[in-house]
Amino acid sequence: MLSHSIKEMIFYKVRYLLILFILFFIASLVFIINGLANGLSMDNASSIKKMNAESFFLDKDSENRIDRSKLTMGEISEDDFSANMQPLGISMTSMGIEKSDKDIEVTLMAINSASFLEPIAKEGKGLSNKKVNEVVLDDSLKQEGIKLGQKLRDEKSGVWLEVIGFTSNQTFSHTPVAFITFDTWKEINLEPFYSAIVVQNSSDSMEDISNKVNDGGWIEKEFVVKGIPGYEAEQNSLFMMLAFLIVIAVFVLGAFFYIMTIQKTNQFGILKAIGAKTAYLCKSTLLQVMILTMISLIAAVGFTWAIFLVLPEDIPFLFDPIQIAKFSGIIAIVSIFGSLLSTFNIIQADPIQAMGRVE
Amino acid sequence: MQSQYPLSLKSVTKMYEDGDKTAIILKDLSFNIKNGEMIAIIGPSGSGKSTFLSIAGALLTPDDGEVIVNGVTINNCNESDKANVRLNQIGYIFQTSNLVPYLNVEENLFFVLKMAKQWSVASKEFCHLLLEKVGLLNRAKHYPYQLSGGEKQRAAIARAFVNHPEIILADEPTASLDSSRSLAVMELISNMVKQYNKAAIIVTHDEQILPLCDRIFTMKDGNLVEKEREFI
Ligand SMILES: Nc1ncnc2c1ncn2[C@@H]1O[C@H](COP(=O)(O)OP(=O)(O)O)[C@@H](O)[C@H]1O
Ligand SMILES: [Mg+2]
Repeated sequence: MLSHSIKEMIFYKVRYLLILFILFFIASLVFIINGLANGLSMDNASSIKKMNAESFFLDKDSENRIDRSKLTMGEISEDDFSANMQPLGISMTSMGIEKSDKDIEVTLMAINSASFLEPIAKEGKGLSNKKVNEVVLDDSLKQEGIKLGQKLRDEKSGVWLEVIGFTSNQTFSHTPVAFITFDTWKEINLEPFYSAIVVQNSSDSMEDISNKVNDGGWIEKEFVVKGIPGYEAEQNSLFMMLAFLIVIAVFVLGAFFYIMTIQKTNQFGILKAIGAKTAYLCKSTLLQVMILTMISLIAAVGFTWAIFLVLPEDIPFLFDPIQIAKFSGIIAIVSIFGSLLSTFNIIQADPIQAMGRVE
Repeated sequence: MQSQYPLSLKSVTKMYEDGDKTAIILKDLSFNIKNGEMIAIIGPSGSGKSTFLSIAGALLTPDDGEVIVNGVTINNCNESDKANVRLNQIGYIFQTSNLVPYLNVEENLFFVLKMAKQWSVASKEFCHLLLEKVGLLNRAKHYPYQLSGGEKQRAAIARAFVNHPEIILADEPTASLDSSRSLAVMELISNMVKQYNKAAIIVTHDEQILPLCDRIFTMKDGNLVEKEREFI
């Protein structure tokens, strides 16, 4: 059966290559849009996504938006914090660069040094609880010409901060993150506050916080990410594109297989006349579809990988094997579903057609 | 015993709805054929010869009566069992060769063997023997589109014999050939039927092949009427 199916495909190269290409292009498009969606998602929210945290305690009025959440510092004491539970301050601001009239948009993140919230400094050194007015920046700011030792001025407070280190892949709402300590945070903010209490692993002490602070609640990281300004709108529109692509794929492939098998009805009749069973013909058609799908999916994965390697750095793109495997599965199901339409034609094909009687 | 006949039809009736009338094509038709026998069926166009052959060949189901192939009544078989009858017990030669276009000549023969799960070295050699008999051994690797009409029909004849069927049915196998070629093709069928002791029914318009047949029937008013030899 295998050799029979393959011989037919090789004989009718053009026809099958066409289907192969359609499948390949649809799959590649799905994979690439998925890669862009993931890339944008990381580019948007990597600081929270990569944070080694499970849940966030936010102010109730914030509507899951961590950038709007404000917890009064007085309500929570330092003793409530532990290696597992840490406060986080977030505010979006613009900063002036020393000896330059350029402004940069950054998200300030206040953390305790040496806590699980502190990112690893790839260059320079990390923050210290003993010193104030120091900052560790996301290294995307190096493209703006910022160097170690340079000073930045917070526009709102006028406080000068010294760049002591760079970390990587730390963004919030598509802006680079500037990490500071809470002592610096207090210098900058006249009325300092916590944006969130972050817990690394769920624990009983979460309830203590809930009891102390009335107008707040714990939410999981996933929802905090969704609450980042612009995040959900961006992801939703990409997801819509993916969904439409898959719907289009269903119709295009379904129509294609249907037309192809309509053209083959006569041939199915002849094969039945010389003794082929309906089940045999269905199986061999399905086998062809599976071979085509396999080849085009493999080619599309390869193509997407090549795109990933070729794309310039500033286009966010993420090659996620697990999601690609999922979408491959969906596309395979879609094309097998499309080929089931042809089963219909196969069942209807009448061996009497071999008699050459035109009806 | 019925099973002495590889093929027998009993009181077979076939009708077609034609507008608001029903046209009776075959009417209470009974027919037997023995091994080693070659029978010709002639008759005007539209008299029901192809219909008869399709019913005998399990391609069409009669409205009434019985079709018995090697002692088994096939009327009530399901599609899959009928496909098996066509595959293993009947070799059909159609008006057009109906070769599988994407398989070459020998693969067309192998394909039938593979479907019947009778693929072996010996059966492969038998394919080549058949191709040699029909004079196509040098064309074994050619695709149908590379063959002439006569060559295609010869390939179809070889294919009809490949699974050692008891019964060979041919519906105007020479209609698309010129007269010298058609005689050659008919002689080929006749030789192979005699050599392998098959039961063969040939529907034809071609008078020149009648001397090759053992019995000759005319399709008339939905029935088969045997012609007396001496009047030919
Ligand atoms: N599927 C069908 N529906 C209606 N009438 C049919 C059908 N097939 C054949 N017929 C009619 O049955 C008659 C016999 O056809 P056929 O067996 O092909 O004759 P022959 O082979 O002797 O020329 C013809 O009149 C034809 O029109
Ligand atoms: Mg006819």
